[in-house]
Amino acid sequence: MTTDQIRINSTDTIDIKTDAIGIDSANTISINAQNLKKIYRRGSEEICAVNEVSLEIKKGEYVSFIGPSGSGKTTLINILGCLDNPSSGMLSIGQKKVFGEGKPLSEKLLTKIRRELFGYIFQKFYLIPTLTVIENVLLPCIFYKKEVADIKINGNNSDVAAMQRGAALLEMLGMENRMDHLPGQLSGGEMQRVAVARALINKPEILLADEPTGNLDSARSQEIGRLLRELNRKEQLTIILVTHNPELAKSADRIVELRDGRVFV
Amino acid sequence: MISLYKVSYKNILRKKTRSALTIVGIALSAWVLASLMGFNKGYEAALNKDIDNMGFQVMLMAKGCPYEAATLMLKGGTGLRYLKESVVASILSEPEVERITPMLMQAVFDPNKGESGGISAYLGVDPATFPNMKTFLEFKQGKWFTDPQSFEVVMGYESAELEQREVGDKLLIPEKNVELTVVGVLKRTGTQDDGTIFLPINTVQKIFGKEGEITSVGIKVKKEADISKFEERLYTIPDVQVVSLAQVKQTIMNLMSTAKVMVFSIAVVAILIAMVGVINTILMSVFERFQEIGILKSMGAMPGDIFKLIWIETLILCFLGGVAGSTMAYGLSKVTEILVRKLLPYAPTGSLIQLDVKLICITLISVLIIGLISGLYPAWRAASVRPLESIRSDIN
Amino acid sequence: MKTTTRYIFSIASICLFISFISLSSVLVLISSDTVHAAVGCDLNDPDKDVARLFPDSTGYKTVYMSIDKQGGEPLLEEIQKRLGDQFKGLYETADVPYTVYEIYKGKEKTGYIHGVNQKGQYGGIQVFLALDMEGNIRNFYFQKMTSRAAKTLRESLFGSQFVGLNLADFYNYDIKTGKTLSPGKVDNIKNPSPEAESDFRAALRATKKNLVLMDEFVFGNRFLK
Repeated sequence: MTTDQIRINSTDTIDIKTDAIGIDSANTISINAQNLKKIYRRGSEEICAVNEVSLEIKKGEYVSFIGPSGSGKTTLINILGCLDNPSSGMLSIGQKKVFGEGKPLSEKLLTKIRRELFGYIFQKFYLIPTLTVIENVLLPCIFYKKEVADIKINGNNSDVAAMQRGAALLEMLGMENRMDHLPGQLSGGEMQRVAVARALINKPEILLADEPTGNLDSARSQEIGRLLRELNRKEQLTIILVTHNPELAKSADRIVELRDGRVFV
Repeated sequence: MISLYKVSYKNILRKKTRSALTIVGIALSAWVLASLMGFNKGYEAALNKDIDNMGFQVMLMAKGCPYEAATLMLKGGTGLRYLKESVVASILSEPEVERITPMLMQAVFDPNKGESGGISAYLGVDPATFPNMKTFLEFKQGKWFTDPQSFEVVMGYESAELEQREVGDKLLIPEKNVELTVVGVLKRTGTQDDGTIFLPINTVQKIFGKEGEITSVGIKVKKEADISKFEERLYTIPDVQVVSLAQVKQTIMNLMSTAKVMVFSIAVVAILIAMVGVINTILMSVFERFQEIGILKSMGAMPGDIFKLIWIETLILCFLGGVAGSTMAYGLSKVTEILVRKLLPYAPTGSLIQLDVKLICITLISVLIIGLISGLYPAWRAASVRPLESIRSDIN
Repeated sequence: MKTTTRYIFSIASICLFISFISLSSVLVLISSDTVHAAVGCDLNDPDKDVARLFPDSTGYKTVYMSIDKQGGEPLLEEIQKRLGDQFKGLYETADVPYTVYEIYKGKEKTGYIHGVNQKGQYGGIQVFLALDMEGNIRNFYFQKMTSRAAKTLRESLFGSQFVGLNLADFYNYDIKTGKTLSPGKVDNIKNPSPEAESDFRAALRATKKNLVLMDEFVFGNRFLK
């Protein structure tokens, strides 16, 4: 069991037990949010982007969030994805309480939680144009290499293991022939698949997809939708999807609709 | 496996023209810096060598006596005063003296030079000590006389050309009706030696009836010696004047230090410009990649990682520029030297710009330090990008 | 890898361009610099000397010539052939600059003064000739002479023997033997100092060389057979 001790201040310590989250078979709940609230200030005006949202996402569940622009779905997913602190409320991931102690977490601490638990894909793919496909996939490993079941990290072998994993991911996504291409030589759908591989390189518990098909045509969108469905089934990956696309949303186990910062059932 | 360095390096390749121009800017200032440091070192060395080449830094002569042939001719061959040869031994006993050579200048009136006659001057030198002091004198033909009693002559290039003399020819001293054999013709030096006719000092004493007398003494002072103290002591010898090249050198160095201040301020400005260029380039690329940096952070990059990434980019640019600039400075040092020579009021012979491995290393390190400093602000800006802000700026 | 090469190439070409500019500017600077050349033969005091050699002159102009600039190697060959002797030694070379003084009376050109260096037995000899517009000698002058017989040879009596002669007369004189090929005016030039025979012959060689050069440089080879 590895323990990453993160000191917020002298009295307050959070332990993230990497293999206790999600992998613990007794716990089937992946994300548990209670009364999450996020308030922005625009001048003297207060905007409540997320208003008293409580929800539960189980391990291996595929949930899509839909709602019109300004419904607060991006704000919510940012809080769920530990990219942002809520103004109030409680969030626990696995057994661990992440927010809820009344103090916002530092940028560093959020980063440590994110790289341990989450993989992200976005509307724009943000591939580095001068790096090859495989290099883009391996990019997160520069900053952090997670110790996961199928990568035995032993000193120098960690590089080899990461490369093998990257290659395996690309193969799974049908991109094995494109490994040494530059992003400029790929189609939009292929680029998003590279982004998916990059998000999965450190074996996250939860894949967070924010409008992953926003830049793609409908055929490519369907392809990504199928891919997410498959990842969810085969790898037991928890997926949180935000989309405008009702077709894509339907591929999820559950659809959560947001309006004016509240969950609309 | 991919590394932070590789990512930095590939980032530079994204805007090739911009990076290349920045590198050229850095290279140019590195060139200026290296050349200036090389010049700083080379100029004084060249000046010292020039003064060393003159053979002696201090010349002692009888008071009021002209010490060069040109002055002697202007004065119509008059005004020669003499020192006793014994003064040589007493000067040689001074601790500051490394070498010493006695000289005897004599002149005759030659009625067959021009319409109303002219002066021919002869310099008697000691074959045992003089050639060793003036080792830089090279021969076009022949060599120095070795026998102190011989009736042989070595001619400076211009005097030899005027008399159309070559080795083996006879030279007549008018008035004295003495024949000498030419044994050497010197190469052109650009100094007064070109117009001088050298004879063994004993021969001159015999021809002109000046046994035991000399007109001047050339003194080479030891490198570590205090020349001004030594000069003061020389003045205690009665009826002598001292001509010191140390004073000349001091004057030249004073002039140069003024010029150096100016030149170094130009270098500082060049470096500042390069620095601003680097900051601008890197900052631009950081702003352009705001979202991308945010994504890197969402992937798990710590602020320190991003800081390093941007700092390494700056360093790579500066390193490439530094190497290019140092190479240019090294490869073009001769060209730079010719340029500098054109600009300087007085430039000694010899290599003015001395670039060695040490100076090149100093240049490279300075450029890298400049890079480290210039990279601080852009790297800090990049490190403080919040992932959320960058992503949201995309979605909304 | 291809992009890297192109990148390095572009940097290199910019550096090259800069070096090229600096190099060319340096070359321009250098080309304006005069190099040390051989020393020619000038009048020591041209104002006085011209007035003495051409008493009726009112002014003069100085023109510089050299075999190198006027015709190079072929010209040197031709001059040696016409002289009947080779150029020799360290100082008698094709790059020696010759100073030709063009003499004016008012606006009219009335003649030339030209000197050459000649190796003598004990030192250099400088022979100046004052020529009229037809190439005839008007005046003969040793500017400098290192010789035991210098006093005698520099007397006007000796120089006056050359007056009126021209290159046609000196063609008849063989420098190598010191004799005329057939009896002519040069035979009338007598050596007043028999012990200085070599300096006398040097003077005749210098005169013939002076005339040949002047024929090539200013008289348009009018005496060329």
